[in-house]
Amino acid sequence: MRGLSYLLKEGVRNVWNNRMMSLASIGVLVSCLIITGAAVLLSMNVTSVVESVGRENQITVFLNDDVKELEAVMEIGPKIRELDNISDCEFYSKDEAMNELRDELGSLFTELQGDDNPLPHAFHVTMVDLSQYDDTVKDITSVDGVYKVSDRSDVASKLTNLNELVTQIGLWLVIILGIISLFIISNSVRMTMYSRRFEISIMKSVGATDWFVRIPFIIEGVVLGLISGIISSIIIAFLYEGMIAAVQYIIPFSEIKYSEVAFRMSLAFVVMGMFVGALGAAISIGRYLKMEGGEILGW
Amino acid sequence: MLMIQFKNVSKTYPNGTHALNNVNINIGKGEFVFIVGASGAGKSTFLKLIMKEEQPTSGEITVNGINTTTMKRRKVPYLRRTMGIVFQDFRLIDKMTVFDNVAFAMRVIGARQSTVKKRVPYILGLVGLKDKAKCRPAELSGGEQQRVSLARALVNNPSLIIADEPTGNIDPEMSFEIIELLNEINKQGTTIIVVTHEHELVHKFKNRVIEISDGKVISDSGILSEKVEVPIEISQEDLAQIPEDIAEEISDVSAAELSEEALRALVQGEDEEE
Repeated sequence: MRGLSYLLKEGVRNVWNNRMMSLASIGVLVSCLIITGAAVLLSMNVTSVVESVGRENQITVFLNDDVKELEAVMEIGPKIRELDNISDCEFYSKDEAMNELRDELGSLFTELQGDDNPLPHAFHVTMVDLSQYDDTVKDITSVDGVYKVSDRSDVASKLTNLNELVTQIGLWLVIILGIISLFIISNSVRMTMYSRRFEISIMKSVGATDWFVRIPFIIEGVVLGLISGIISSIIIAFLYEGMIAAVQYIIPFSEIKYSEVAFRMSLAFVVMGMFVGALGAAISIGRYLKMEGGEILGW
Repeated sequence: MLMIQFKNVSKTYPNGTHALNNVNINIGKGEFVFIVGASGAGKSTFLKLIMKEEQPTSGEITVNGINTTTMKRRKVPYLRRTMGIVFQDFRLIDKMTVFDNVAFAMRVIGARQSTVKKRVPYILGLVGLKDKAKCRPAELSGGEQQRVSLARALVNNPSLIIADEPTGNIDPEMSFEIIELLNEINKQGTTIIVVTHEHELVHKFKNRVIEISDGKVISDSGILSEKVEVPIEISQEDLAQIPEDIAEEISDVSAAELSEEALRALVQGEDEEE
């Protein structure tokens, strides 16, 4: 389209001419993007922690007293491994259990060896997805020869709940802040339009199409979004490293490295910023386009 | 051929004002018409209906052979490109130079920069403001500002010029000059409609006068039905306005030998050549 470079220039000029309002829009949009980004990163980390807890924390499956070692390894083990949601299943004999107990508690248990060992044989089982903990435990319990499963459902369900909570709060934050950003950007563009209403009225009187009137303002919104997206990407990179370091000082956990998500995060910021900017601008322009001549000037 | 045709047009505003009441007006191509009447008589509504800034409540309006009553909204910009509008308050953009103000009208309809660079100085020459291209509107007199506004109206080569009280904000001598200029433009075939309440000014020129009062046409000095012949006269002054490069091309032909068509094309048809 001819005159596209003219329209681009006009759009960028709008941002500069209206810099106080632009600054306000960018400020609000940056805050929104950072909070959104923080919520997403927090959720990602919690998910990752839940996963690693799931990996690291095995559950112990105790077998009935009368189950012999051979039967356990040859029959019960394979049955457990066949179940859904099992990532690992390792035999843990009653001798190993006793040795471990003796190491921890001393010679008190020395006599309880061999046939006198009152402990049952067991398996150490790891699940793929901790949120399916209850179902998986039920499945394991129903296997012949299984006595009971050590209860860890508390930890699993707490972590899963936390993750859901973070996701929920994050989602609402994104929606609310998105609406606020939209409102602020549309106001900023409306201010520009008000200050340029005179030009708009002339444009319409000499036969500019609606799109020609619209594009510079949409570009203004998109530029505001782009700048906000870039600033947010930079700020969150620093903020994230700092926050992770602070949290790890209290509770060590395996965090997601920012470099792993940096590209996706920045891209999401920029795209979201530009989208909100364009939408905000489009909302404001509609009203002006319907007006004619003197109406635009408020006469 | 008719440029403007109002058939039984009435306009009532939402607030109940009856601005126009069953108006019939025909204006031929190439005519120069004054629309006079007291304020509130319906003159502005008449212009707004031509520009399609307003819709008639009833009746039918044809502009340049196109029925605008049923025209789609997205086609309106293209209708407006066929007309140039001059406002009482000039409506020039203060932060732009005279050149940019005129160029603005070309840029917003997507003209090429190279075309703008050629066309704007030419039009500024026509209205006698070639030297003021770099001035800001605020540095000019009222008459000069109105000529910039006129240059802007002319720059897209419209077949119709609408001037809404073009002399309302300028000195009487300057007013005369503006109407003279419009007359010159008219001689080159452009239809001109001037709305004014200055009867004195109207009497100085021998143009058709339509008087509107209370939303009705109460007098029309030249009711016209069919074809209008437009005499074309090219003065020495006009010839002097032709850009040098074109003037050179025709230097071996005397002005008198040129056909009307050719001259008209030369004077107002720069766009088509490019």
